[in-house]
Amino acid sequence: MGGGQWPVVLIITPLIGAALTPILARRRPQIAGYWALFVFSIVTLAAGVLMYRVSTQGPFSYYMGGWRPPLGIELRFDEFSASIGVICLIGWLSLMFSLAYAKHALPERRIPYYFALVLLCLGGMNGFAVTGDIFNLFVFLEILSLSGYALVAITGERIAELAAFKYLVMGAISSLSILLAVGFMYALTGTLNMTDLAMRLRDVEPFPVAVAVGALTLGFSVKAALLPLHIWLPDAHSIAPSPVSAILSGLVVKIGVLGMLRMYQILYKAQIFDLSALNTTLMWLGAISIVLGALFAMVQEDIKMMLAYSTISNIGYIFMGLGLASKYGIIGASVHIFNHALIKATLFLGAGALIHQTGYRNLEDLRGVGKAMPITSAAIAIGAISIVGIPPTAGFLCKWYIALGAIEAGRLFFAVTLLFGALFIFVYYIRMLNAFYFMPPAHPEILDVGEAPVTMLIPIVVLAMLCLLMGIFGRIPLSFIEPAVTNMLAPIGG
Amino acid sequence: MRALWTNIDYVASVILFLIGLYAIMVKGNLIKKLMGLNIMETAVFAFVMSAGIVTDGDAPIMGAGAKPPFANPLPQGLILTGIVVALSTSALALSLIIRIYRQYGTIESDDLWGVE
Amino acid sequence: MRRALTLALLILASVPLLYAVSLLPPVGSEDNPTYTYVVPHYLEEGPEETGCENIVTAVILNYRGFDTGGEVTVIFTALMAVFGVLLIPRPAEKVRQPESAVPVSPVTLFIVRTLAPFIVVFSVYQIINGHSTPGGGFQGGTIIGALLIAASLVMGSERTQRLLPEGVRRWLQPAAVLMFAVVGVTGMLLFGEYLSYPIEGEYLFLRVPFLTLVEIGIGVGGAAIVASIFWAMEGSDG
Repeated sequence: MGGGQWPVVLIITPLIGAALTPILARRRPQIAGYWALFVFSIVTLAAGVLMYRVSTQGPFSYYMGGWRPPLGIELRFDEFSASIGVICLIGWLSLMFSLAYAKHALPERRIPYYFALVLLCLGGMNGFAVTGDIFNLFVFLEILSLSGYALVAITGERIAELAAFKYLVMGAISSLSILLAVGFMYALTGTLNMTDLAMRLRDVEPFPVAVAVGALTLGFSVKAALLPLHIWLPDAHSIAPSPVSAILSGLVVKIGVLGMLRMYQILYKAQIFDLSALNTTLMWLGAISIVLGALFAMVQEDIKMMLAYSTISNIGYIFMGLGLASKYGIIGASVHIFNHALIKATLFLGAGALIHQTGYRNLEDLRGVGKAMPITSAAIAIGAISIVGIPPTAGFLCKWYIALGAIEAGRLFFAVTLLFGALFIFVYYIRMLNAFYFMPPAHPEILDVGEAPVTMLIPIVVLAMLCLLMGIFGRIPLSFIEPAVTNMLAPIGG
Repeated sequence: MRALWTNIDYVASVILFLIGLYAIMVKGNLIKKLMGLNIMETAVFAFVMSAGIVTDGDAPIMGAGAKPPFANPLPQGLILTGIVVALSTSALALSLIIRIYRQYGTIESDDLWGVE
Repeated sequence: MRRALTLALLILASVPLLYAVSLLPPVGSEDNPTYTYVVPHYLEEGPEETGCENIVTAVILNYRGFDTGGEVTVIFTALMAVFGVLLIPRPAEKVRQPESAVPVSPVTLFIVRTLAPFIVVFSVYQIINGHSTPGGGFQGGTIIGALLIAASLVMGSERTQRLLPEGVRRWLQPAAVLMFAVVGVTGMLLFGEYLSYPIEGEYLFLRVPFLTLVEIGIGVGGAAIVASIFWAMEGSDG
């Protein structure tokens, strides 16, 4: 096999790294961060190699233990698995940001566990993105969810434990409904491999499959925080340490969307029943999420709370794109997964730096911070412009594609909703930027704080530049996704 | 109706699942919510195990004297994993409850949502 | 009101679920797709291909070993999570309750002490014999974990923890994850893929030792983790 073992490096390295973290950091907790960063650099390298292989040679599989499916577990690397790229990018930058952040925000004793949990969460996400087996999917889902719940509570501040408990209960219900759906599929077909499942689902009773699809949709929409199942998100994402918020908001909620994409991949291939009822539901819930998420965000005072509601609104865009079930809609949704991850990570890390330096979280208290921390504020401004979707930034392209998708599907109403949503989003980010740059400071001493330490600044700047670059070179992810979507929508044997 | 009777194992797991969900949604005490969650977990495990039942199936252990039919080994393996996952979730949930209790002195959710 | 509404909602949800399960293949029949599709291969070729007479072990350690690798990671994650949530900032300031305020009954103490060696023997048997008889690493490991918890209850945690000093504990907790990695990578280097075991050829003799190693790793790791979670919750340091 020689060069073919990169999938193992990708999945196993973070898990081993996490297992060793508490041992290595027993005497000096501070080295945990550097160790985690080192481990994750290897993972990122593996992800790079694997993505390069997918882009040059097309999709390929890795059989765990050498057992071909349906006997054993298959790791499948296709265009959607390319999300490992964005997971590694944001994970790596968040880890780097954590180096300085953890020192101040966390009790020293918890630092090794913090880094171990971040590694486990990122490793779990990588596994989720590449596995080709529905039960294995559940296992990785649990690794990443459990570490996510704990990371929300790890600061022990204010209502952290309550937020984490709420997140845990909702998350566990959703995991169980996913497992129930896995049980249904298994009882009907006797297989757990996704490709195999798509084949064997063709000649079974459609009704139980429909119930399973319902359970999966329910489960994944809780993970993705689609309205009205979002109630866990605002508290959890705003109370978590900022690098964790970046990971949760940028990546973990997207895991729900990725799960939906995998489910659609199976269903389109299986052609078992008409999906229009599901699609319409998703489209409407998406539209409601866009509008209500944006409205809630508008009235928030806490900057991280505002960003959390903005995530709900953006998840709405992605689900609307999926529900449109037209080529451009799905392409827009898939690219928005990538772009929103970049943008939201920029914003949360930026907000984290502001809070770290000033000690304030409310917009009112943060007035005038634009002068004190020009680089961070500029990065946040880029993120804000990008998320609104003003060309030439990253956010523009995907919203444009989703709008095209709406027109393509003959759903003009949704194209209009999308524009209104963008308008609302514009209003609240303008409010934020106005406070940063044009209002007199509420606390004069805020003008004296300097920029954050350089290990915190670099990730923010890199992410902000990527937001700009992705707008200009947005064709690159598009060219990656387009054949996958075309392939997914084309019925098999047609 | 006949089909419901043959699949009574599945029916039982579905009912347990909903009972667990009811407990989570209605009960105010966090421990009771967690118990509801555990009932739901058990229900799902029972569901998957039912998919592997073989009437009069023997334990799938080969060797001298083993004779078919054997029970389906796959769901057993899957549920072993599931049980460990459930254990882990409960451990974390209990730790959170301990911390919540130390901080607020109560684990009734009606009292807790007030403190936010 | 809230109760009635929830109940109505759940009864409504039960209708499609119950209808769906009535359409599933009948429980217990040997013609189910679950029994006719992949499983015959496991049952017929399993002992030959994996060296396990216990097909459940063949599935969880060999065919679907990667799942079990994930599973031990989940429980390790739970340990990290419990530590991250529970451990109090300053280790110096140990809030110790006086050694069990209620005196432990000599009856319980006697029972735990007398049974302990038998429990250990039984669990060790389960761990190392899991590939051919019922049982396996997890079952054995949790039994030892339960024994440690029982010992903590009757003798106090501090005395029990002396059996597993902190330095040792730190190494044992990730034992399962690390053992999987070691065996997995060895399999990868020798036989092609991660977690591969030999099916034939000169390395065939390695198969059972490898399986036993993984079982021991799972057992030791499981026991250490279960006990540590208990200690962390009780407030006496993981």
